[in-house]
Formats: sequence, C-alpha cells, structure tokens
Amino acid sequence: MTAAITANLPVFVVIAPLFVAFVLPTFARRMRLVEGLVIFVEALGLVGAGYLASIVLAQKGIPIIYRLGGWPAPWGIELEVGSLGAFFLLVIAGVSLPVALFARGNLTKEVGSKERVTRFYVLYLLLNGALAGMAVTNDLFNVFVLVEVATLSCCGLVSARNHPRAAEAAFTYLILATLGSTLVLGGIGFLYITTGHLNMGFSSQELGRIWQDNPHVVWVAISFMLVGFGVKSALFPLHLWLPDAHSTAPSPASAILSGLAIKGYLICLLKILYNVFGHTLIQAFAVHRILVLAGMVAIIAGSILALTQDELKRRLAFSTVAQVGYIYLGLGLVNTKGLTGMLFYLASHAVSKSALFLAAGAMIAATGKQSISELAGIGRKMPITMAVFTVGSLSLVGIPLFSGFIGKWYLILGNLEAGNIIPVAVIIIGSVLCAAYLFPIIRTAYFEPVADEDWQDPGLPQKISLILLAVAIVILGVLPGPFLELASRAAAEFLVLQ
Amino acid sequence: MRDFILKRVAAIILPFICTYGFYVILHGHVSPGGSFAGGIIVGLSFIAFSTIYGIEKGRARLPETVLTWTESFGTLWYGIMGMVGITKGAPFLANKLAGIDLGVPGTLSSGGLISLIGLGVGIRVASTIVTLFFTMMEEKS
Amino acid sequence: MRILLEKLMANYPYFAAVVLFTIGALTVMTRSNLFKKLIGINIMESGIFLMFVAAGNIRGGAVPILDEANTKSVYINPLPSALMLTGIVVSVSVTAFALALIVRLYKSYGTTDAHRIAEMRNEVSER
Repeated sequence: MTAAITANLPVFVVIAPLFVAFVLPTFARRMRLVEGLVIFVEALGLVGAGYLASIVLAQKGIPIIYRLGGWPAPWGIELEVGSLGAFFLLVIAGVSLPVALFARGNLTKEVGSKERVTRFYVLYLLLNGALAGMAVTNDLFNVFVLVEVATLSCCGLVSARNHPRAAEAAFTYLILATLGSTLVLGGIGFLYITTGHLNMGFSSQELGRIWQDNPHVVWVAISFMLVGFGVKSALFPLHLWLPDAHSTAPSPASAILSGLAIKGYLICLLKILYNVFGHTLIQAFAVHRILVLAGMVAIIAGSILALTQDELKRRLAFSTVAQVGYIYLGLGLVNTKGLTGMLFYLASHAVSKSALFLAAGAMIAATGKQSISELAGIGRKMPITMAVFTVGSLSLVGIPLFSGFIGKWYLILGNLEAGNIIPVAVIIIGSVLCAAYLFPIIRTAYFEPVADEDWQDPGLPQKISLILLAVAIVILGVLPGPFLELASRAAAEFLVLQ
Repeated sequence: MRDFILKRVAAIILPFICTYGFYVILHGHVSPGGSFAGGIIVGLSFIAFSTIYGIEKGRARLPETVLTWTESFGTLWYGIMGMVGITKGAPFLANKLAGIDLGVPGTLSSGGLISLIGLGVGIRVASTIVTLFFTMMEEKS
Repeated sequence: MRILLEKLMANYPYFAAVVLFTIGALTVMTRSNLFKKLIGINIMESGIFLMFVAAGNIRGGAVPILDEANTKSVYINPLPSALMLTGIVVSVSVTAFALALIVRLYKSYGTTDAHRIAEMRNEVSER
C-alpha cells in the first residue's frame, strides 16, 4: 500500500486536488466538511511534496520519471519530478496550505452564500492541481491545457466576489489571458510542426539538430511564447489586467493569484526556454538580453506605479508587477548563480506576497477601510497582523535575515558573473523604491496616533496561517539550506542540457 | 413550441437520441466521435426535452442535486478507472499493463478501460451542458 | 516574387490561418464591444486550430483507422486533430464563462461597451 502510494506520488500530487475539487459541490451544504477536506488535501500535498523533494535531494538531482499509462516517452505523456519540479511543488504546497487556513470560516463576508464559497474552494483546488501539473509536466501540450485550467480558475476566483468591479476585472483578465494562451498555443504549434514532438526532451533534441535550417520559425516560436507568457505573468507593458484583478479579488484569492498563479506561468516559460530551446539557442537569438531589459523596465516602472497608489491592495498588486521584473531579469542570466537567484526569488516572493496580501486582507476586513492613509495606528490594535506585514515587507525589500535578501544577493552575483553592471544598479534602485512604497505603510501603522476604534486581530485559523507564512519567510532567510540546494541544482541542470 | 406533433415525435425520437449518444460514447475508440461528442448528444437530448415540454418539466426530470452528483461523480469515475492500474501495480491510467484483456481489434472490448473511462467523461459533459442550458435559461427570466 | 506566390499557393491553409489570426487579434484590440472582443478571441483561436490541423494533414493520405481494405501506405497524422479537439473544448469553456461575465456586467452597468463601463466605474469611485 505505502509502496504503491510512494511510487505513484508524482501523479497523486496533481490529481488529488483535482478530484477532490470535483467532489466538493456535493457537500455544499456542509461548510465545515468542505473546509476540512480542502485543508486536508493541502496538508497531504505538503507532505507529498516534502517526500518527493527529499527523494530528489537524496538522488543527487536524478529526476523521477513517471509514465502515464506505462507508455514510454515519445508516444506517452511523461511527468518529471526533477529538482525544479520538487522545488516548485514545495512552494505551491507551502503557500496554498496557509492560504486555505486563512480562508477557513472567513469567506462568507467577501464571497457570499455557502454555494458560492464551495465554488470558490473548487476553483482554488483546480488552480492548485493545475499549478502542481505545471511543476511536474514534461509535455508541451499539457503545458497549454494546464495553463488554460489555471487561467479559467484564476478568472473564476477574481469574479468570486459579488461586485460589478470584480466581474469587470475578471472579464479583462479573461480576454487578455486567453489572448496570451492562444499565443502560447501558437508557439507550441510552431514547435510541433518543426520538431514533430510534444515531449520536451525529444523536442529539444530535434530542435538542436535542425534550428539552423529554419531559424525564422524558431524566432516566431520564441516570440509567441515570450509574449504569451508575458501577458499571463504580467510583464510590465503587458500587465494592464493585473492591478484590477488582484485588488478586487477576495483576499485569499489575491494572495494565491499574486503569490502562486503568476509563478506557475513563469515556471512554464522557464521550462520551455531552457528545457526546449536550451541555453545555446537563447544565447544565439539574444533572448537573454531581451529578458534582462524587460526585467529592468518592469522593476523601475512597476515600483514607480506602486508609489502612486493609495489603495493598500492596489499598491501590493503594482508591487507584484515590479517583483515579476526581478524574475524576468533572472531568467535572462544564463549562469548558475543568476538562475538560482531567480528561482529562490520566485519562492521568496510567493511566500512574502501572500503574507502581505493576507495581512492586508485581514486589516481591510477588520477596519472596512481600503486606503493606506486611513489605517493610522493599526499596528497597536492588530499587533500580529501588522508584525506579519512588516516581516513580509522586509523580505520584499531585501533586508538580510529575510528570504528576499538571498534571492537578490544571488541575482546580483549572477549579474556580476555575466558582466552586467546596469542590472545590478537597477536591482538596488528597485529595492530602495520598494522600501519607499512599503515602509510608509508600516510608519503609518505604528507611529501615527491611534484611531479610537475597535479593530482586532482576526480569528485563530487566520492568525496561525499568518504566523506560518512569517515563519516560512524567516526560515527561508536564515536556513535556506535544502531550498537553495534544490534551486541551484535545478539551475545547474538547465545549463548542462545540450 | 407547445405543439402536439412536436411532442409526439419527440417522445418517440428522444430515447433513441439519448441511446445513440451513449453508443457514441462507448464506441469512441473504434469509430469517430467519443466521449465528448457523445456526451454532447446525450445532453442535447435532455435540452430538446426541456425546450419542447417546457423548462419546468425538464427541471423536474433532472433536478439540480442530480446534476451536481452526476457532474461530480462522472469525473470521479475517471479517477477510479485510473486507479485500477495502480491497484495492479502499474502506473496511473494503465490499460493493458493492468492485466486487462484487449480482445479483438475493432470490437467494443478492444479498448479495455477506454470505453469505461469515456462513460465517466461523457456523463460529465452531458450534465455540464444541461447545467449550462438551465443556468442560461433561468438567467433570462 | 513568383517563388513566394507559389509557396503561398502550396501552403494556403497556413495563409488562411495567419489571416484569421490577424483578423481576430485586430478585433480584440480595436473593438470596445465586449461581445465583439469575445468573437475576436474565437476567430483568433480558430486560426491557431487551423494551423495545427493543416500541419497534421498529408495530401492523398488515408484516414488513420486500421482497416484491411485500405491499400494506401500514407496516413494522415491524427494527433494534431485530437489536440485541437481539446483546444476547442477549452475555447468553448472560455466562451461560456465570458458570456456569463458579460451577462453579469450588463445587469450591473446596462451596457456591453467597454469604454462606457470604464467611464461609469470612474463615476462610481469618485462619488
């Protein structure tokens, strides 16, 4: 029994959330059961991801290959849990469990009736399953299907709040994201037509043989992929849907959208760029320069846009635009340190931004106020929430002992190794700007006169979830050991290929 | 719409349409069509029933709880069929490797678990289409 | 020029795919009516579907069903068509979801024009 479970773990981490999601609507009347099931599945996912990561670490990075239906690679669909897969599975489980805990018993105010809350959980689990699938899949068409499942469930999560603005944001998001996934599908089509394979490994081998014969097709495929995933992961000029969508969604949904959903698309882009095209093609077509440039523009522009916002959740949403810039910048650094930094920063941002969004959600729920200037003195009324918010901000800015610092440090090292000076300056300026838009919130909260109102910390599950996320940030910052090892192994594997 | 001829003809034809839908679902591996197309046909037979006899009667035939259950368990059935392989020590969704006899090519039994999996998907597709139809019709009024 | 035209004639399905894709993308970007945006998305997707299906086609190939009576040695590749079936299902669900959202937007704003909705939203938030 245990042997069967451990042998099939790569597929269980993907299908368990999906199938539980489909069964949930039948229990819609019994809210406790639904919430319990969701948290149970998330906890199981964390255990499974931890086990897979320990195996991958023990095997020195040799990936676990799982063949669906027993069909071997060029014909069948493969799941591959390598260092990258295990790393991202851990991130998914580590963020989605606290977010599910936060949502417990807390959604009826933002979402509505029991049926609507159940639907929210269904979409939440679907998104989780799709993200887990993105982490482990090794098949190009699966990438498209999972991206679409994730997109649809994200739009559903945004429109879960019963408010016309949420519907509007969801519609904009849906149209732009579908445009993006159509472009992704087009890119996959070009790859399939030129190589004849949908499996990433075989496609990459074939591409390495023939790319010099038709470089234009490869160019078109790369540009379709870049623009498609750029729209979906809100790279700066293509970010227009993000602020509305992430600020109008219910708080747990904002946390999961900003923290994880965007990262899923980035992981897909990373896999396609480095596992299919490979680093030789990236350098031959100078894609890495485009990525670094786009990342720098996104960091500066996103930070400046965030500075101008007064609404708390909108400021955090624009901050996501800026932080995605760091990840794109790291994607363009074709060396081990840069890619390690990129992966670690991805994990760090996932944890920190969800902590920030959840804390902001708790504050908005307790006070009923949206804008930052109205939250004076909240730090003394809601100490735990504001402490977690502070920890998240420090991590995002990149103060040592918090997780963001290690990611930024490796990004800077990678840039120096690649001989880029301007990106280093941009990273530092970006951190200063980040401090400029986050620290005023903390100052307002702690050092301004306390308003005479009855604001309180949220309930026990919410407190536990916030504290879990804060602890995760500190652990990642102080003892990054196994995570850093997984990230650096994954980075090294990307550069060994071809 | 409430026409005598229409109602009589529908009463005769609709059972056959529904059966044909299940035929298409089960023969997905040996003929064109499959669980999605067949599921749509099954769903359309219920939609035709509701448009001809009225939404209320259609709702009475297929109450919301029934639709929720078929929708959920159509998908769960897929998972259960996938698990058959795991219980036999083969990977998820294994068919021949799970020790299922594949019979003569071109016959119904030659697909092994495929037609059974397709049944789950078809039921799911049918109930989703019917749910969409009911939701949109009730939205209007 | 002549070679280019000949290539175009030989690969006319791809040409049609590009035309469809461009029409769809232009519709999405330039029209402000929500329904037209949605239709544009659908046209764009059909362009991509056409490209896939055309890639699987082999002129003069047989239907890929195992049949003793079939004497042709070349079969059409069924995989792209199967993939596009999945793609069509996805696009149908996107369309259904978008239509539901449009209905909700129409109920609360009374219009399906994106510009009007944006204006009304600003009025609401200024109040």
